[in-house]
Amino acid sequence: MISRPTTEQVLLDCCRVLEDDVLPGVTDETTQVRLVMLGKVLRNAAIRAAHEVAWMREETAAIEGYARAVAATVGPDGLRTAQDALAAGPHASLHLADVVEVYVRASDLLSLALEAALADGRDELVREGEALLSARLAHEDEVVGGWDAAGR
Amino acid sequence: MAQPTMTPEALERFLSSVEPGRRASVTAFRAITGGYSRLSVVADVRWDHGGTERLVLRGDPPPGDGVFVSDRDAEWLMLGALSRAGSIPVARPRWYDATGEFFGTKCIVFDHVAGRSLQDVLRGAEDATAPGRMFVDTIAQVHGTPLDALGAAAEQPSSWDDYVDGVLDVYRAVDREVADSSPVLRYASAVLVRHRPPPVPFTLVHGDCQPSNVLVTESGEHVVIDWEFARIGDPREDLGYYTQIPMQPNVYHHDPQAFLARYRERTGLTEEQVNPGTVEYFLVIGMAHLLAQILRALDAVSRGSTRGVLATYLVNAVTHQYGLYLGICRRVAA
Repeated sequence: MISRPTTEQVLLDCCRVLEDDVLPGVTDETTQVRLVMLGKVLRNAAIRAAHEVAWMREETAAIEGYARAVAATVGPDGLRTAQDALAAGPHASLHLADVVEVYVRASDLLSLALEAALADGRDELVREGEALLSARLAHEDEVVGGWDAAGR
Repeated sequence: MAQPTMTPEALERFLSSVEPGRRASVTAFRAITGGYSRLSVVADVRWDHGGTERLVLRGDPPPGDGVFVSDRDAEWLMLGALSRAGSIPVARPRWYDATGEFFGTKCIVFDHVAGRSLQDVLRGAEDATAPGRMFVDTIAQVHGTPLDALGAAAEQPSSWDDYVDGVLDVYRAVDREVADSSPVLRYASAVLVRHRPPPVPFTLVHGDCQPSNVLVTESGEHVVIDWEFARIGDPREDLGYYTQIPMQPNVYHHDPQAFLARYRERTGLTEEQVNPGTVEYFLVIGMAHLLAQILRALDAVSRGSTRGVLATYLVNAVTHQYGLYLGICRRVAA
């Protein structure tokens, strides 16, 4: 397969064409706003394409460790099903759909583990869970680069 | 329902139906941009017995398109109630194509209000103090609307605790419903249900409370528009919702204490009830239904539907909200 330009570079090139060549020639305001939104979506997609597999794998590993710590402290009962579901996920595959499937299962486990830590009053574990949420949001922030409500 | 046909010809046919004694010609017709939910058009009409009018049409996008869902029947009822109550100035609702027979979509026709949005006024003001106060006073005016004047246009929740818990449960429900998973929502729901602020009486809530939805006429009067998300709820939902509006200037963020002091003065609520902490708590409450709609639209895209570019664009808004929510959780629980 052709690996260079990368997916990120292809999408960013599409953004340049859209913004420099197409948008200036469009006079309809509604279409202008749609194109601005489309440019932003393409930029987001470019950054995601460049990093999302690595980010999801990193976060998944951290969540697995966190869930083990929560289970060891507050008891494993509420987490066992979600832990088993995550363990049964297609970890060996790097196809995006499989990485996403594992990540979604890990995210469910993170929700349950954090809720369990909160319900049990485990402040330190709550802070650790919040740190995982912060790391997740840092990645999302890197993708979107801010929110400005185009057209409004 | 068929595809929307909000055209000059459809408007002429509609006006012939609702005003059978006279005929109207549409002399100008243009879409209004900037909204994220409904299709809006401004139209100039000349009546055959003389006289002209400028009208605004507001209809639903094609089925399955767009992100935000609201009920035109409910909006029509609400507008009628508000128009009759006279407690808050609204654009006068004139007619309603309740079946989509004429426009291919349910469509409300209003009187056009000549004026600038208060957001434009704020943006252009050298000193934004007066328009800022106008905004605060307008919010207080919305919240001062007598609930009995709304009649059947809005349902009153049974209890404040149940209402807040029910809204927080919206986040848990949407997380169960969609294919993606959002730990921030689950966490916010779990934290906030443990730290409810003091209650206040229910009021009318606008639901999209921002200066862009206040029109200022040349004579300085104001009219509140876009009532599609109006409901009875906690008035602090509107305050919290406004804090996350990204358009600048944001009156709240310019001086939160002054904003809230004036609001308290206008409403009689106490500082314990209305302060930066309770306002940010109600950001999460006030955004719940709209954020759930965005997540449902993204879920539809992930399942192969298309919702237009707005849906995928709003991923940016979701990320922004999640960041706000996590910060709020930390402060609420501190």
